[in-house]
Amino acid sequence: MTATTMATSSPAPSDATSGQARDRAFWGVLMLAPYILVFAVMVVYPVVYGLWIGLNFQSYKALFADPIFFRTVINTIIFLFVAVNLKFLIALFLSGFFVAQRAWVRIVLVLFILPWAVPSIPTILSFRVMLNPENGMINQQLFQLFGIMEGPGWLTDPTLAFASSIVVHIWKSLPFWTLILVTGRLAIAQDLYEAASVDGANKWQQFRFITWPSLATLYVTSTLLSMIWTLGDFNSVYLLTGGGPGDLNHVLATLGIRYMRNNNLDLGVASIIVAMPLILPMVWFMVKRLSKGAE
Amino acid sequence: MKRLLDEGKLILIAIPVLIWTMLPIYHLFVLSISNQESMLAGKLWPDQPTLQNFQIVFKQQHYYLTNFWLQLFNSFLIAITTGLLTLFIATCAAFAISRLKAPGGRSIMNFALATYLIPAAFLAIPMYKAMGTFGLLNTRTALILAMVALASPYAIWVLKQASDKLPKELDEAAIMDGATSLQLFRMVYLPLMKPSMVVIGIYALLLAWNEYLYAFLLLSSEKELPLAVGLGLFLSADDAPWNLLMTAGLIYAIPPAVIYYGFRNNMVSGLTSGAVKS
Amino acid sequence: MKSMRNLVSGAALAALAVGWSGAALSQETVTVWFTKGFYKGEDDALLSVVDKFQKATGVKVDLSLYATEDCVTKSVGAVQAGTPPDVGFCTTYDFRTTGQWAFEGKLEDVTDVIEPMKGEFQPQALATTFLMNGKTNKKAYYAFPVEQQMMHITYWKDMLEEFGFKESDIPKTWNGYWDFWCDKVQGAARAKGKRIYAVGHPLGVAASDTFYSFLTFANAYDAKIVDENGKIVLDEPKNRAAMIEAVKSYANIMQRGCTPPSSVNWLDPDNNVAFHNRTTIATHNATISIAGKHMDDMNNPALTQEQRDAAKKNYYDNIRTAEFPKKPDGSNMTNLAAVKTAVVFADGKNKKRGKEFMAFLMKDENLRPFVEGSAGRWVSTTLAGIEAPFWSDGKDPHRAVVYKQYKDGTVPFQFVYNYKFTAVNAENVWAKAVNRVLVDKVSPEQATDEMIARIKQIAG
Repeated sequence: MTATTMATSSPAPSDATSGQARDRAFWGVLMLAPYILVFAVMVVYPVVYGLWIGLNFQSYKALFADPIFFRTVINTIIFLFVAVNLKFLIALFLSGFFVAQRAWVRIVLVLFILPWAVPSIPTILSFRVMLNPENGMINQQLFQLFGIMEGPGWLTDPTLAFASSIVVHIWKSLPFWTLILVTGRLAIAQDLYEAASVDGANKWQQFRFITWPSLATLYVTSTLLSMIWTLGDFNSVYLLTGGGPGDLNHVLATLGIRYMRNNNLDLGVASIIVAMPLILPMVWFMVKRLSKGAE
Repeated sequence: MKRLLDEGKLILIAIPVLIWTMLPIYHLFVLSISNQESMLAGKLWPDQPTLQNFQIVFKQQHYYLTNFWLQLFNSFLIAITTGLLTLFIATCAAFAISRLKAPGGRSIMNFALATYLIPAAFLAIPMYKAMGTFGLLNTRTALILAMVALASPYAIWVLKQASDKLPKELDEAAIMDGATSLQLFRMVYLPLMKPSMVVIGIYALLLAWNEYLYAFLLLSSEKELPLAVGLGLFLSADDAPWNLLMTAGLIYAIPPAVIYYGFRNNMVSGLTSGAVKS
Repeated sequence: MKSMRNLVSGAALAALAVGWSGAALSQETVTVWFTKGFYKGEDDALLSVVDKFQKATGVKVDLSLYATEDCVTKSVGAVQAGTPPDVGFCTTYDFRTTGQWAFEGKLEDVTDVIEPMKGEFQPQALATTFLMNGKTNKKAYYAFPVEQQMMHITYWKDMLEEFGFKESDIPKTWNGYWDFWCDKVQGAARAKGKRIYAVGHPLGVAASDTFYSFLTFANAYDAKIVDENGKIVLDEPKNRAAMIEAVKSYANIMQRGCTPPSSVNWLDPDNNVAFHNRTTIATHNATISIAGKHMDDMNNPALTQEQRDAAKKNYYDNIRTAEFPKKPDGSNMTNLAAVKTAVVFADGKNKKRGKEFMAFLMKDENLRPFVEGSAGRWVSTTLAGIEAPFWSDGKDPHRAVVYKQYKDGTVPFQFVYNYKFTAVNAENVWAKAVNRVLVDKVSPEQATDEMIARIKQIAG
């Protein structure tokens, strides 16, 4: 509130324009300052600090000696490619459904958004309980309806458990990306489709020659961004299986935390840094794309 | 006839979509009205639906619920503070970049957006260490700062885009009248930006409310925890009070769902406008 | 009253002098982190000790209670960041960190507090806190032996009878014992169409129950892992062969479908959960906490009279605590005891008061209610404590078994001799080896060799 007094005293009548310019520069910097401060303290400092800790060569030796490390890297890559691509194919398909001009479709959309709108922890824990091999609703129903004593090990069979994490991840983030693609589709001029159907183009041709060319940029950008975010997805794995069974289903995000838990923060940081080759190309590509879009 | 066929196809898609979306949420709801026995038996619908779980939760009658109201309050406190702080920081920054053309403003925004190119779990670990150095570990301040740092770049970006759309003539006229930057901010910018600011405030608030990982890492004392992490503690209870967990989880999920539906038209257009442009 | 006024005015002056608000200075605090108890009685006893300490010294105790897993995670992070509390007591410190912290010089030497009260402790419990500091290259007392735990078998007597068996049918021999549960009892349950498993057998890598149970199996087969100087002896042919048998035996219970499938993901409470649900008939558990829960319930005023009566019946009639069977070679089982250690951190801001707090807590009149508040879950580490009627009067069916096992003698974990075994346990190489056999279908021989190689890598 001291700022107000300073501001009112600044414009002198004689040099109004240069005074205003100075005033603008002063306030421009001042109003950026809070964010710059937050950014420096909460992002730049931790990252630099992390890189500095990451200089310890011993950590990498220990990391590579850990038998679950390579499995985790492979898991992460599979998780990334399967989860993200599957999610976007479904999102692309569903976005076509949600642009249908029906009142009831809009109601479905409202419900469809729920997974994204509600917090992850209750819903992921709901999955966890539901998929529990003994008391979970699914295997209990399989037993009660079909007498299946040992239902599928949704969370205990390594492959199924990994697939379950992917399913939960998709469940949670599908609505957001579908919505983005819906918005993208709505931006395409409607008369293009009308002209095409007059010319006798079928649905596939309409998609192939109108929808896809308009959506492609958005689709690829979104996919990349989603990959980066998916790499940081801790909840879908941690809250569902904790990386189990037998530490076989960790991804880099949960492995780092696991090292922290085991009194090994340096290894946690190291496990992040070794993921850089995975991240940097995507980031580079992203930055190029975004800056091109901004022009 | 063709229209009917189309309708049929749409319904054929809608049914699996709804089942897929609603199954875990339905399960959450069913457990919240089940007693322990029906729950463990995996009943699709409890034999005797009961509201007893809600009573136990509200009265904090389970050992792992002793701080339920306090943790709910913490969740509100953290979310609202994050929302307000983000709004303040982002509104100022967007004004500086878009209207004042502050030197280096654009590059700062690009750097800010680069925050999102660091996967969340990867930023969390060094941030945890840094917070230890600042002596902020296990304080709600730490979590609020972290959430502000995560919400701001997007908030600045959206607000800047909205601000860019305001006609330049307004500024020029005001400047001609000898208005200072601060007057410009108060009289011209803030009133026109209100709709976008509401969207961004809610965005930051929901982000903080829904957060688990950072809260789990940065906070530990039961009295400081938001409900999200409090729910996680249930996993160390040895009598499997899943029904209570789901009840508390349902209560926790309601505010964001309500807020979201209350503002959904603004939210969707506000949040996705930028995405389509690029 | 006058001294009080002096104190206050002195504080106010001091505050003025440094230009700081008086409130922050006038009250000295000591920061204490504890594991949140499983039962209310434990926390109540602790709070009353805290209260007494605050009244006696005027020092405010800033007490935080954390869930078991969070407690150790938070402590580890805080120690690494250089901001630990003054006093820490998490019930998994001994498994995970105490030895390592002592070695790295992160702990305060508490010999001066221990020395005067040395005679009060059980020698084998006290010995686990005499640890090596790698910085000074000397051994000293770096922790307080607060309480301990042992391994027990718990089973539902009523379920056993429901499926047509008597308690006297339970064999005493190692193989006969597991065959009885897995084949006969589970077989009878399945014949009745029940989706029930005979044994709750922890296999999750994130659970300390898993390595506790596994090392009990290793102990049964006499697979010696380290010698008393901390040197790894597991690779000696005799020990390797014994370890292979232990891996086989441990994996076998899962292989024959005798434990719930979810046990591969179990966290520490989950074997209790499965037992309370009656999903399992028997379980091995590293405390009597399973029965303890029913004791807590039968005294819980929040429950209905009906529920309290049911809990009482469970505690006294339906649930049994038992020792392990005899070793495969026919000799008596030795009890692997884990002593829970409290520590004072070297980097604590007020470690002097931290030591005072621990000295205060370790007094018999304060420690005993805390230990006994856990309803038998934790066992006393003092000579007077274990001979107290609570354990020795034989009136309580579960504690009587604990007392008997204590009298039979206990052995410590490997990490007491070689602190790096905390890392071996944290990584749970034992569960990993068993999982290699179960999931990846490698031979027990290969899994054991991998285990030995990894142990040497970590602890060699």
